[in-house]
Parts: sequence; C-alpha cells; structure tokens
Amino acid sequence: MFRRRLALHLSVLIVGAAVIRVGVTPAEVCPPIDGASVSRAIDEAVRWIVTGMGPEGRYTYGYHRGEDRVNPGYNGPRHAGVTMSLYQAHAFTGSSEALAGADRALGFALQGMFTHGDFVAWDVLGEVNTGANGLLLAALAIRREATGDPRHDELMRGIGRFLLIQQYPDGSVSGYWHRSTGTSDPIFGTYSTGEASWALALLDHAFPGEGWGEAAARTVDYMATDRDRREGRLTRLPDHWAAYTISELRPDLLTDERMDYARQLAGYFGMRLRFEAQRRGDGINLALRWFPGPPAGVGTAGEGIGALWAIGDDPRLADLQPNIEERMLCTAGFMAQRQVSASEAADALRPDLQRGAWFYRGYTQMDDQQHVLSSLLYALTLIESREDGR
Amino acid sequence: MSGLLLVVAFMAAINPLRSRIALPEDGRGRVRPAAIAVAFAVSLGAIALLGWWSAPILGALEVTPETFRIAAGLVTILAGAWAFAIPTPAAEPELGGWRDGLWPIAFPRLLAPEVLMLAFAGATQNGVAATAGAAAAALAVFGLVGAMPTGGRTIRVFAAAGRVLAVLLVLVGIFLMIDGIRDV
Repeated sequence: MFRRRLALHLSVLIVGAAVIRVGVTPAEVCPPIDGASVSRAIDEAVRWIVTGMGPEGRYTYGYHRGEDRVNPGYNGPRHAGVTMSLYQAHAFTGSSEALAGADRALGFALQGMFTHGDFVAWDVLGEVNTGANGLLLAALAIRREATGDPRHDELMRGIGRFLLIQQYPDGSVSGYWHRSTGTSDPIFGTYSTGEASWALALLDHAFPGEGWGEAAARTVDYMATDRDRREGRLTRLPDHWAAYTISELRPDLLTDERMDYARQLAGYFGMRLRFEAQRRGDGINLALRWFPGPPAGVGTAGEGIGALWAIGDDPRLADLQPNIEERMLCTAGFMAQRQVSASEAADALRPDLQRGAWFYRGYTQMDDQQHVLSSLLYALTLIESREDGR
Repeated sequence: MSGLLLVVAFMAAINPLRSRIALPEDGRGRVRPAAIAVAFAVSLGAIALLGWWSAPILGALEVTPETFRIAAGLVTILAGAWAFAIPTPAAEPELGGWRDGLWPIAFPRLLAPEVLMLAFAGATQNGVAATAGAAAAALAVFGLVGAMPTGGRTIRVFAAAGRVLAVLLVLVGIFLMIDGIRDV
C-alpha cells in the first residue's frame, strides 16, 4: 500500500514537472555571441538593404523566397524607418555603405516634401502620414548628430512644426494630415504617436531650448496614461518608439512617472524576448510555441530594450540592467543565428534578396532587417564595452 | 516579492491547517512530537537545498528565474484550486513512530509541488536565507497545529480555514504569474 501511494505521488510530480517543462518553461536558448559575429550580422543586414535599392532611392519592400516573388508594395513609414536605421548603423559603426544608402533614400523622400503655412511635411505616395514624417525627422536628426552636417536644419525644424500641428493638447497625435482640406485627421496610428514623440525628443537634442523636448514629454505622458484606453486597446502597447523617446528625453524631463513607464516597457520587451528564445520551430516546440517570431516583431523588442539599456545609468532603472543586458545578448545570439548567411544564400535563386535577411515562414520585408539591425547595434555597443573592459 | 509576501506564500502553500488533517496521531489525538520534528527538519532541509541549487538547476535547464515564476504561479494556482475543492486530504498509509515524519508528513503532505516551486522561485528572487526563513515560519505554525488534539469539530474548522488559505494560494499564484510576465 505504502509503495503504491509513494509511486503515485512521485508519478504525479514527475509527470507534472515534464508538462511544465514542455508547456510552460521550454529552454530559452541563447547561442553564444561575440562582437565580430554581431558586426558581421549588421554588415550583412545593411548589405541586404542597400543592395536591394532601386535607382530612385527606394528599397526592396519584401521578398517571398518560396515563390521567388518580390512584393511590389511600398510604405512611407517603412521607408523612413529603414533610412533611420541605416543612419543609426552609420552612427554606431561608421559604416560608409549605410550612410551612402541612407542618403540615397533620403533623396527619394526629399522629392515628396511640401510646405504648408510654416511647416514642412513629406507627402509619400499621396499620403501625409505622421509616423513617416516622424521617422524621417528622426533619420535627419541621427544623420546630423553622426555627421555634423547642418544642411537639413531648417527642414528638420519644419517637420518638427508639422508634428506639433498633429499633436493635440493632451499629447495624443493625429495619424494623418489631409492636404485637400488642410486639416489633421482625428485617427490615431498604432505607432505614429511614438514615432512623432521620438522625433521631437531628438529635435530637442539638436536644437535645445526651442521647446521640442517638452512637446515630446507631453506625448510620453499620454502614452503612459490614456493612450491604450482612448485608442481602444485591451492591453498595453509594447511601444519601442516610446522607449526610444524616453531614452532621448533631457534629464530634467525624466520624471518618476515617465521612468515608471520605462520600467513597464522594459518588462514587455523582456517577456517578449524570453518567449522568443523558447522558440525553436520544430517538433512539439512548434506546436506549443509556433514558428520563431516575425523578425520585425523580435527586432522592435530588441531595439526597445536596447534604448532603455542606453539610459541604464539612471538609478531608477539600474536594478533592471543585468536582466536587460542578458536579454540583449540572448536576442543578438539567436537573431545572428537566424540570419541567412552568404553560404546559405549562395545556391538560392536570388542570393542578394536572401543573404543578410531574416525570414518569417519564407517571407522577408524591409522592416524585418530594419528592426533587427537597430537592435543589434545596441547589442554591439554592449558587447564591445564588455570586450574593452576585459 | 517582499519578505512578508514570501511568508504569506509559504503559509498558504504549506497550509498548516489543511495539512494537519488526516495525519497519523498518537493515542491523545496529536501528531507525535518526534514525527513533527523530523518533518520540520526534512522539509526545511529540502526547501533550503532546492533554494541553494535553484540558480544552477535553472541555468542547466536554460530557464530564466522570471519565466520560472510564471510556471510557479501556474502550479500554485492549480494547487490552490485543488485545495479549495478538496479541503480534506486523503489519509496515507503510516510508517509508524518518528518515521511518520518522513512519510506521509514531509512527503507528500508538506513537500507538495507548489512548495517545491516556491522554494525555487523564492530563492532566485529573495535568496536562500529569506526563503528558508519564510518556510520555517510556515513549518513552525504547522508544528504548533500538529501538537493540537483534533476532534470532529476541530477538523471542520481546520478544513474551513484551510480553504481560506487555499484562496490565498490562488492569489499568490496570480501575483507570481503577473510578476513573472512583467519582469524583464
């Protein structure tokens, strides 16, 4: 009797542990990574973006390798976002290839600029999108910071004034502006709010004392408090652009409430990246965790947590730094491993559209490379600081 | 998790009142002191040992402490629901004398899955000493309850109070899950 009961209880423990292991806590696989590997992954991603550019300065939007089909669509915010990421690559690594590619893409955007009253905005393919303008301004600000070239200063201020037009008094941001009516459209874009606020925070760095930072902070407060309820979301939006914004706010604007929001964001990104590290895409793991996630989604979490790492010297985030660094390194490890290498692409139909890319179920899109590239840039900085310290 | 919450968590997981029900007793309706002492020592030792090994074990399993807290929360919620639904645990065969402290008191009664999970989760977040201290407090309460003679009415009171602790255990599990999800 005793033995039967003992066996029963031990069986429950063992079976329960196995179920928990497989279903709830699969291994979070973090391949080892070093600076050279991350640099290579960054160079390859830049190469994919720049090699796929057309003569007019547009990027290859997307490619399905199974069908050998290029996606002919295009999208303003993504154009600006990829351009911004290339400027980041130049700023972090000094890549001349990234700078040259970004400048060509900037040339495409500059053709669509128009002036209305005292502001300047980008009309991309017939749509005046706040997010696209925000990311274009962010790209210009990062370019200015990295190159010291002031040639676009007035354009930057002009786009900044457009973003202020789009900003409501409570900090919320209209997603679109109509050229025909000359009015803001009372529709919110999912990410354009954070994109606009980040651009304003960067503008404050470029031109301090002009009030851009206060405007950015107003939108951070809106994102931290009312946004999700007002914009009809049931859960908090894990907004990496909000993380970027907080990381760029002046120290005197980093109130406790805004830093609390930064902590919340770090939690969302951390959870996303831990979950991603559990994904292997085969066997029972595939049934329970599905395929390794879309690279753009993983990359946004990676760059968001990277942006927060960059302000880790603030004592209000200091206790999170060890975990943040662990997630950054882990993400860099598995994303470098998931990138299509030159040898893997060598036998492909179009090697240039595969090499350096991250695919999700056979498809890659320009923003996949953008977001992962940005996340790797922060990881590289972390790894290099550790390698230098050794 | 604060130190106070850790004590509450172990109190709810060990659930001294429910755990006291249907244990081997001496002729006066009390659990034998030697058995209680053995159960206390073995349970506390096991919890401390698991806590001590929690970091290397989780490292070997490639599980972050934050993700483990989600699993611990899930197990704790299920255990709390089970204890609420079945307030009187089944009687187990006795080994007799002090050996009752090993079976069925230490295992399976005290070292239940939710207690083992809490030992891991608590040690990785609060340290081994704090975890062992919290567990010791709950085990001490179990020791006091074990020394009390039980009758028909006492059992009913223990079962009812045990259900309250079971609800508390569910709340602890929810807290652990949210904490694990929100942590970096």
